[in-house]
Amino acid sequence: MTTLELKNIVKRYKTNTVLDDLSLDVADGETLVLFGPSGAGKTVLLRLVAGVIDPDEGKILIGGEDMTDVDAEHRGIGMAFQNFALFPHMSAHDNIASPLTATRSSAEAIKAGVGKVAKLLKIDHVLSHHPKALSNGQKQRTALARALAGSPPLLLLDDPLRNVDAKLRFEMRLELPRLLASQGATVVYVTQDYKEAMALGDRIAVMANGKIRQIGTPEEIYNAPADIGIASLFGDPTINLLDVVPQKDAEGIYVEISKVRVALPGMPDSVAGQSCVIGIRPESITFAKSTVKGAVPIEVEAETPLNEKTVTLVVTVGKRELLVSRPAGTPGPVSGPAFILIDGKTTFLFDKASGALIRKAGETEQGVAA
Amino acid sequence: MLPYVLSLPALLVCIGILIPFVTAVIYSFQRYRLSQPWSRQFNWGENYYNFLFNDPGFWNTLKISLLYAGITVTLELLLGLGIALLLQKRSRVNNFISIMLLLPLMIAPALAALMWKLMTNPGFGILSYLASSIGLHDFRWASSPDTALLTVVLVDIWVYTPFIMILLLAGLRSLPTQPFEAAALDGVPRTFVFFRITLPMLTPYILTATLFRLLDSIQQFDIIYAMTQGGPGNALTVFQVEAYLNFFQSTNVGRSAALMVILWAITYLLSNIFIKNWLRLRERARGEV
Amino acid sequence: METTSTLEKSLRFLALSLVVIFFMFPIFWIFLMSFQTNETILQIPPSIVFTPTLSNYAALITGKLTTSAGTLDIAFMRNLGNSVFLSVTSVALSLVLGVPAAYAFARHKFRGSEDIAFTLLSFRFAPPLLVLLPLTQYFQWLGLSDTYVGLIWVYQLICLPLILWIVRGYFEDISADVEYAYRIAGHSWFATFRKIALPLAGPGIAAAGLLAFIFAWNNFVFALVLASADKQPVTVGALAFVTSSGIQYGQIASAIVLSVTPTLALALYAQRYLVEGLSLGAVKG
Repeated sequence: MTTLELKNIVKRYKTNTVLDDLSLDVADGETLVLFGPSGAGKTVLLRLVAGVIDPDEGKILIGGEDMTDVDAEHRGIGMAFQNFALFPHMSAHDNIASPLTATRSSAEAIKAGVGKVAKLLKIDHVLSHHPKALSNGQKQRTALARALAGSPPLLLLDDPLRNVDAKLRFEMRLELPRLLASQGATVVYVTQDYKEAMALGDRIAVMANGKIRQIGTPEEIYNAPADIGIASLFGDPTINLLDVVPQKDAEGIYVEISKVRVALPGMPDSVAGQSCVIGIRPESITFAKSTVKGAVPIEVEAETPLNEKTVTLVVTVGKRELLVSRPAGTPGPVSGPAFILIDGKTTFLFDKASGALIRKAGETEQGVAA
Repeated sequence: MLPYVLSLPALLVCIGILIPFVTAVIYSFQRYRLSQPWSRQFNWGENYYNFLFNDPGFWNTLKISLLYAGITVTLELLLGLGIALLLQKRSRVNNFISIMLLLPLMIAPALAALMWKLMTNPGFGILSYLASSIGLHDFRWASSPDTALLTVVLVDIWVYTPFIMILLLAGLRSLPTQPFEAAALDGVPRTFVFFRITLPMLTPYILTATLFRLLDSIQQFDIIYAMTQGGPGNALTVFQVEAYLNFFQSTNVGRSAALMVILWAITYLLSNIFIKNWLRLRERARGEV
Repeated sequence: METTSTLEKSLRFLALSLVVIFFMFPIFWIFLMSFQTNETILQIPPSIVFTPTLSNYAALITGKLTTSAGTLDIAFMRNLGNSVFLSVTSVALSLVLGVPAAYAFARHKFRGSEDIAFTLLSFRFAPPLLVLLPLTQYFQWLGLSDTYVGLIWVYQLICLPLILWIVRGYFEDISADVEYAYRIAGHSWFATFRKIALPLAGPGIAAAGLLAFIFAWNNFVFALVLASADKQPVTVGALAFVTSSGIQYGQIASAIVLSVTPTLALALYAQRYLVEGLSLGAVKG
């Protein structure tokens, strides 16, 4: 167990700034997920921490010690690569043993260490195989085993589930938290899959264009995304975004969708008349009878199942598209005109010009997460 | 720091070679005969001036060198392309033949020249015998000024056509198949396919192979020296042969060095074009991994 | 792809046959000649039916050629030995110098790295006599003229560019992550070079070495300019042999056969890598 601190890291490739004055703290024993689209700089950041590339500016502290100029082999790190990066000319056993041979452990100690971690990852039956003879899932487990074998206090996992099929990814997503907890290591985990991020992270750092845009617990990020971009990265199906100009009447702030008033409780008066984007999670919309107050008339366009949900594409009177999601198996209209109810309390209002979150509806000023 | 340490030894060998290169350039600006070392002096580029205005030998050398390079590379390119097309389809026979055809390329050119010298011997050479049996009596191959060039060109073709063939064959076999399948489906005539699809896609390979050969051919020494020592007369005194003879026989170091500097300038220009094409191919080959 | 007519098939067959005859016949003919006595060689018309004799090879190997005019000493075996020694040591030195440099060029884009790599490449294309002629004088001053050391040094001009550029390609093909993984596991860069990079580039290094051997063996001009009789390899020795023995055609043929056999055998053995080697790593076979 250890801590990791990055201070004002800058990394450039020629004129392209990949990491731009980035700072980050990871607490002892914490699992931090670096989440963001490809090209955000996640992998570069991980490699800087590992010590295989050097930052142009800034400092890297591991366990409080400045490691910026320390070679990779002396940083006490375990790392699993997205493409596994197994040594093709060594057996799975020798692959996993590589962190142990580096410390010149005894032959028995190596054998015991490899056996223990192999058993944990359920690959003890393929230890004599070379990577070529391993299935994709076994390769991925071997790569993880190699990262864990030396019991490193700091574990870097670079999208380790990226190159395995959906079934294996699902299994590992269930297995990994227990596995990481059993190691007690501080973990930095890179992923592009928001579900992985939500499932594994104690905290999530959302990266884009070489900067950390938001950092917080999964709940914080889901419930208070800092801007439109982050809001649309989390959630499946993605959040509905509509251009609106909120208005104010005696009852408070509201927007009109299909000419129907949708109240946004708790919004500041100042947003009235401002060009905004409203974010409505598909699960915040339900189908309703026309008689219900605030029911919005729509036209059902198409329906598709998504995992354990049913997603319906509907079109408002103003020809704006919305996704509605409901638990699979619950009844809902299949086609033709229908009505929906929008839960105004769980919507987000973003400034159209900057994309920044103005406020989540239903929150008081103090209640908004940082 | 580390990469410098790793490449330093290779770098030192580089420098060791650059010193005589500079020396050669200096010599080329000197009046310098090994027979009269006492009168060695800077002569304001007189060696080069002489080439231009009162040295018919130089123009002969330039002409023969360009002719030799032009003829060999053109014929080898046509022949190599033809053979590559014949062997394009992957089959056991074709693969076997393409490996066999590489053998002449693996024989030292100087030894290849000796082989052909034995075969063109006026007394018992099989080729002299064949020539006379088709009515060419007393066909003297490399010993006659009329046919000497033809003979060394023949040996050059024998040795180096496989080089072009094997590069173009690798190129042909690495071309994507979709355009050809589409053309075949559409019933496009084969000559059209060849000139509009095959040749353009093969161009980088053709360019690389041609420049590679041109660079070697304009400097050819081994075959010509082993076969005729530049003779008969001055029929085959290409750049390197002429420079060699100048240095060791006429002991005219200044002229020899000037000849080499001119040849170097030609190859330098060619190799710059070459390296660009070569790099493009190299990146493509590495990208396929 | 398309239906080929019988006519086209026969034309293809005819063309390929002519090609094979043109390129194979000289090798075949010289091979036959090496088993013939001078009498059968000089027969007109030439015939491929004769009683083979090993006398030519015997004369070369024993170094004594008995003719009606007396006994002639042949130094050919010494040339063969020189070829072996010069080629092997040159390639070995080139590997020691070139493989670390190739690794540096493949893995670290340091200042001037491309310039050095291209300068080495350009040696492949510079006219050799340009440096060789002044080099004869430097060698005299340095006491290197007519020494194996001097020759091996100059042979680096042939071997080093080849090894550097082919092996560099093989190092570049190894995923950098694989090496990073070994470093992060706690191993020094040297251990990583030895345990990961070298074994993974092994086949490429071996192929480059074999090709460099072939090119060193086949070189003519370096030894012609820098070596005297007792240091000369077969390429120069065979030419001298032709001049000195004159009319001993059978022995000349068998000397040629002995001289080309090693390179032909290696070429057949390493044929998978020939294309890549010949194009200095630009084209993969």
